[in-house]
Amino acid sequence: MRDIVVFSGSSNRALTERICVNLGLVPGEVELKKFANGETSVRLCDSVREKDIFIVQSGSGKVNDNFMELLLTISACKMASAKRITVVCPLFFYSRQAESPSSKKGVPFLSGSTKHTLLDSVPSSPCSFSHRTSDQIPAPSLSSLNESAATSPHKTAKTTASDTNVISPSPLNPAVSSKSMKQQNVSISSSCNEKDSEHPRKHPYRSWISQSGTLIANSLTSAGADHIVTMDLHDPQFQGFFDIPVDNLYSKPLVQHYIVNYVSNYKDCVIVSPDAGGAKRATAIADSLGLQFALIHKERRQRVVEHPITAVSLGPYALAPISSSDNLIVHSPAQNSSTSNNSDSNGNSNNSAEKVVATTMLVGDVQGRVCVIVDDLVDTGTTVLRAARLLKEQGCVYVYAVITHGIFSGEALKKLKRSSSIDQVITSNTVDQTAHVEEYGKVNNEPLEVLDVSRIFAEAIRRINNGESVSLIYDQGW
Amino acid sequence: MSLRHPKNSIKILSANSHPDLSNMICERLGLPLSNVKALELANNEDAILVGESLRDEDVYIIQTGCGGFEKLNDYVMELLLMIHACRTASARKITAVIPNFPYARQDRKDKSRVPISAKLVANLLTTAGCDHVITLDLHASQIQGFFSIPVDNLYAEPNVLKYIQSHFDNKDDIILVSPDVGGAKRVASLADKLDTMFALIHKERAKANVVSKMVLVGDVTDKVCILVDDMADTCGTLCKASDLLLEKGAKEVMAIVTHGIFSGNAICKLNQSNLKRVVCTNSMPLNNLQELCPKLEVIDISGTLSEAIRRLHNGESVSYLFNTAVF
Repeated sequence: MRDIVVFSGSSNRALTERICVNLGLVPGEVELKKFANGETSVRLCDSVREKDIFIVQSGSGKVNDNFMELLLTISACKMASAKRITVVCPLFFYSRQAESPSSKKGVPFLSGSTKHTLLDSVPSSPCSFSHRTSDQIPAPSLSSLNESAATSPHKTAKTTASDTNVISPSPLNPAVSSKSMKQQNVSISSSCNEKDSEHPRKHPYRSWISQSGTLIANSLTSAGADHIVTMDLHDPQFQGFFDIPVDNLYSKPLVQHYIVNYVSNYKDCVIVSPDAGGAKRATAIADSLGLQFALIHKERRQRVVEHPITAVSLGPYALAPISSSDNLIVHSPAQNSSTSNNSDSNGNSNNSAEKVVATTMLVGDVQGRVCVIVDDLVDTGTTVLRAARLLKEQGCVYVYAVITHGIFSGEALKKLKRSSSIDQVITSNTVDQTAHVEEYGKVNNEPLEVLDVSRIFAEAIRRINNGESVSLIYDQGW
Repeated sequence: MSLRHPKNSIKILSANSHPDLSNMICERLGLPLSNVKALELANNEDAILVGESLRDEDVYIIQTGCGGFEKLNDYVMELLLMIHACRTASARKITAVIPNFPYARQDRKDKSRVPISAKLVANLLTTAGCDHVITLDLHASQIQGFFSIPVDNLYAEPNVLKYIQSHFDNKDDIILVSPDVGGAKRVASLADKLDTMFALIHKERAKANVVSKMVLVGDVTDKVCILVDDMADTCGTLCKASDLLLEKGAKEVMAIVTHGIFSGNAICKLNQSNLKRVVCTNSMPLNNLQELCPKLEVIDISGTLSEAIRRLHNGESVSYLFNTAVF
């Protein structure tokens, strides 16, 4: 190893230790602490002059603290004349971008991958009032619209309702949270009378959540990072945000290894992707092992209505009717408990099943099979639980969930424990899992299994340091 | 009306660190707070929800460097994300109003292999898309040089001056004291304007946040000493300084600081200390601190900030505020 120093951030020291053991190195000494006022302080104790620096930091736990710490460490290395700074982020920061605006509780729902489909599938301009001309308010007078909307929702209701071309994404509009919901319903029904597809909005601006990808990428670059190594990026497009090389490693070899060696009679099992975004990842594994593949498609659109609306009345945005307790609002405890009840009393009633999976459908046959759900990350656990429940309903015998990044925030682990749908959870140590393993304990006599990714990273670091090709380990692992 | 330049207006955005200050500024400007919110997600990341159009607007984001051990970095990230969100939302100009600049004290390479964190924060702000920064009493005014964008470093001095003038009739009774050499300039300028004496305490620091030994330069006998500093963090300095001053024959000691950070057990220390009064501005959220510490008095700084925002928006000179208190 030539002139190489591996520093560890405070997020995942255990992984760094393991990487260093694999490399035959001792981690570089770095003093990481916080001042009394909360400012992070970094001091490198080892010389880095003209060295090849690797900084390992995972985007888990206190994400913002870890990110600032990483930036400061990069900056410190840069200032101390390091030759090259490679950031090793097993789990990338802010890699999964928010997709739907807030739920009732103001906490946005975060899961899955398909932000873009959601945004693009709905015409983005909320104020496209100029489609029809004649009796319309001139288009640019956004402020006047604003006013009229604020003063009398009814008035807007009329204007909008008279325009069939106006497309309302209002079910997704967070301005329409809890408080205004009732009002919404009233006006919906009134506009339905006019046989119209329009949802009048109280506020004509459609809220959106900003995408942080570029910011994170630019921050790292401006701090002085020269190279990024990460694993199973949620959005492969993320690489495009950077002006520096990004090596996205895959956990695929590890997952395959696990399936081949630990899933009993693996030739008969079905690889399942819990959402469309992960389909590619799952098919790749299924293909290379010659296994069958199934896909769960979840429709993400939420209807914020108390009663199901008929498809006709929704015009171009028609979906199957969904009851109000649908899945988008996942953070409210009441909802959580209700869904988990459903899962516990599994075959109990059609009613409950319909409530939960009305928007979810399975493509593929899992009757009497063992299923392996493959996903890149689990945060609150809703997606994977919903998938497992559906699989069990469709007659699947045993469900493995193989997850690269087990973030398990909030109540995720509790939910996983309570639910009987997933029989075994396998994750990797891209995120420090010590606490999680302890909290999970054993469910059905199966502990939370942790795959070790340190060898992949160690090999990548060695190859980058040596100037060898990294692509070889994409398929073979190590 | 020209098509290319529609009338744009000020949008005041508040991140989560100091909603009170944002509201005060909005009230003074007679504007509503814009519907842009910073949300915290389940996995500890933040997201910005933009609830109204910012296209071609003059955006001011108010976020101060506070939050203590738990939240400081979260607020820094929040600010960056919000700037970035405004940039994405096609705002014409984005100004970050950061009364207490975070990481301002890590502004030099005082040891080997440490980062210049203030420089990093400056770079991050610029990278995120910030066009202008308004701040208050920067710890070192050289930090302005870390930026490649304009920085308006406002002073709390006029307000402090007003406070002292309104509380002390006889200027011969009082003496201004700088608790460290770094603040000597600030205190000297204030003393000049008040036409009072000033003294200086020299302290030797062994470690950050720990003061070892202090030496007083100047005569404070039978005077009311006013310690003036830019920030009070753990308050170790202030408490030790007040002990020293009383020991040297001062009649009474009080302190005026711009940024009341009061981290750790600062409030407890202040309560037990010999300080008669501690005055700080509301550049930091004080929440219930005034209840916990009856010695604490607050100077409202929102006038200066809102006037700066107004002037910046209208393209007027900001330097007027360097000498004039706005109430």
